[in-house]
Amino acid sequence: MNRILPLGVIALGILAFATLMLVIGPAIQIKSMAPTPGLANYSAQELRGREQYVAQGCVYCHSQQPRSADQAPDAERGWGRAAVASDYVYDRPHQLGTMRTGPDLFNVGTRLPSRDWHLTHLYQPRAIFAWSIMPGYPYLFERKSRAGPGDVVVSLPAEHRPAEGVIVAKPAALDLVAYLQGLDHTNPAPARAVRDDGYSERGEPR
Amino acid sequence: MKTQLSGPPSPSETFEPYETMRPIPLGVLMIAVALALWGVVLLFDNSEAVAIGQAERADVLADQPARSDADGASLFSARCATCHQPNGSGVSGAVPPLAGSPFLAGRAEVPIAILLRGIDGPIRVRDTVYDGHMPSFASVLSDEEIARLVSYLRERFADRPAPVAAEMVTALRGELAGGSGWKGGQELAARLAPELAPQPSFALASRAEADPATMRLVNEGTNGSWACASCHGALGQGSETVPRLAGLPAGYIARQLESYLNGSRRNESMAVVARSLTRQERVALGDYYALLRAPSNARPSLGGDIARGERLVLEGVWDRGIPPCVSCHGPSAFGVAPGFPGLAAQHPAYTASQLAAWVSGERDNAQQKLMNGIARSLDDADRRAVADYLATLPPVPVAATKERADDRR
Repeated sequence: MNRILPLGVIALGILAFATLMLVIGPAIQIKSMAPTPGLANYSAQELRGREQYVAQGCVYCHSQQPRSADQAPDAERGWGRAAVASDYVYDRPHQLGTMRTGPDLFNVGTRLPSRDWHLTHLYQPRAIFAWSIMPGYPYLFERKSRAGPGDVVVSLPAEHRPAEGVIVAKPAALDLVAYLQGLDHTNPAPARAVRDDGYSERGEPR
Repeated sequence: MKTQLSGPPSPSETFEPYETMRPIPLGVLMIAVALALWGVVLLFDNSEAVAIGQAERADVLADQPARSDADGASLFSARCATCHQPNGSGVSGAVPPLAGSPFLAGRAEVPIAILLRGIDGPIRVRDTVYDGHMPSFASVLSDEEIARLVSYLRERFADRPAPVAAEMVTALRGELAGGSGWKGGQELAARLAPELAPQPSFALASRAEADPATMRLVNEGTNGSWACASCHGALGQGSETVPRLAGLPAGYIARQLESYLNGSRRNESMAVVARSLTRQERVALGDYYALLRAPSNARPSLGGDIARGERLVLEGVWDRGIPPCVSCHGPSAFGVAPGFPGLAAQHPAYTASQLAAWVSGERDNAQQKLMNGIARSLDDADRRAVADYLATLPPVPVAATKERADDRR
């Protein structure tokens, strides 16, 4: 093989160009980005809940990136406005997700604000949605003969209640629910925020 | 290549085949150039899409806070004229006139205070007594807007051309914060304008306090389901797809809970709740929420065209089979008990999702299937426009007493 030097230089050059355009450029663009006005950082409990979210693999079925109206009717589903880059300032690593086996969760805190609803649903999704394919997380809960002081009892329809005793949430479940309740990105995004405008034409819904 | 194939009869063992420099064929070159050009065009196209997107969003934002730079006249026609009439004459026996009203001619604080808190009791304007039900505009109009509106009203209807400063509204808003509607003209006159007395006395009927059992349902839930307030909020104000319940007709709320039971309205979470309630509890919850008063926390959030929404809600599109929403849901979309819920200040995601549910059949509990047909005539942009416009309206003025709620039912 002759001319190995020019070949190598060109190959590395293409790689360097791609890295510049796809990695370095966007990184510079979002590095000093201020959070969306009104977006609050996570509390300590929410951060612990976020670790649970990662550990339980929620990201494999749930996305955290509502799309604009020209791509999907996410706003009408109640999933919130299209996400912009500055919504993710406090998310390291982000939990964008690629699968929507379940609904998007980026604004689940405003759509489903009830702690008790979430506890029921995490313990046994089919207690609410008979058709749900979401796994239950019974190991985040425990059965006690009676609730102690400070215990949070999970409210369950009769057919899902244990024969005796009550189901109470472990701290991990409460943390996870606090994180979910805190997911709220409904503050209006600035008009010039970095976002995906796709190939939208003038006058199309967005 | 030729030289290799027909090359020397005994090629050297160390011979390394190689190619000489040849020019790139013209066709390949043209394809490469075309691809590069295509890339540039796509980049340009995309940057144009970004620019269009930004411009349209800036438009929508500028539109959104109910066209925040609107002048007094357009605020009047958007906010007041549906009830008080475009010429300010009011409706005989029902809505007091603005033209020549002593409430406008006196201190500017009086109309500001009325706009900030609404009226919820009898009021005498000149020689006629009206049963006052005016919504509070505190949650949907800014201080500047109220100042512009009041300046306009005073100049047009009371010949008081001096403009009102926004600072006066700000000060008054702080002073009156948290109060419910004025208990008729009597409270208003006593607090701000003694010269407007005598005003009819407000019959202090006992405020319908919900019984402890109902309050337990609202705040703690039952063994089998969750507290109403845990999703719908402490004041029944709701958020996103969780509807605002405050001020909806009692009969309507009870009927929805029945619909969750019999499946004519599909919502799994609410079905769990409805199954845990008795008939009496469903009725009691309806009564409770019908009397609740909550400021609006709904904001246009679907990027809908507010002007288009306003047209659909107030005028409809008859040749597409869309009647105006207000023809059934009442003036200002405050609802008509018992069948038609108030739509004003409802959350846009909820409104739009229900309009979609009428079409998909997830919701099928309307009288004479009216809503199914109307919703089918609305497209996606219509749904978002209507939902966003309704979110800019002030919340339903709630009857202050159980007796009043019964009248409305």
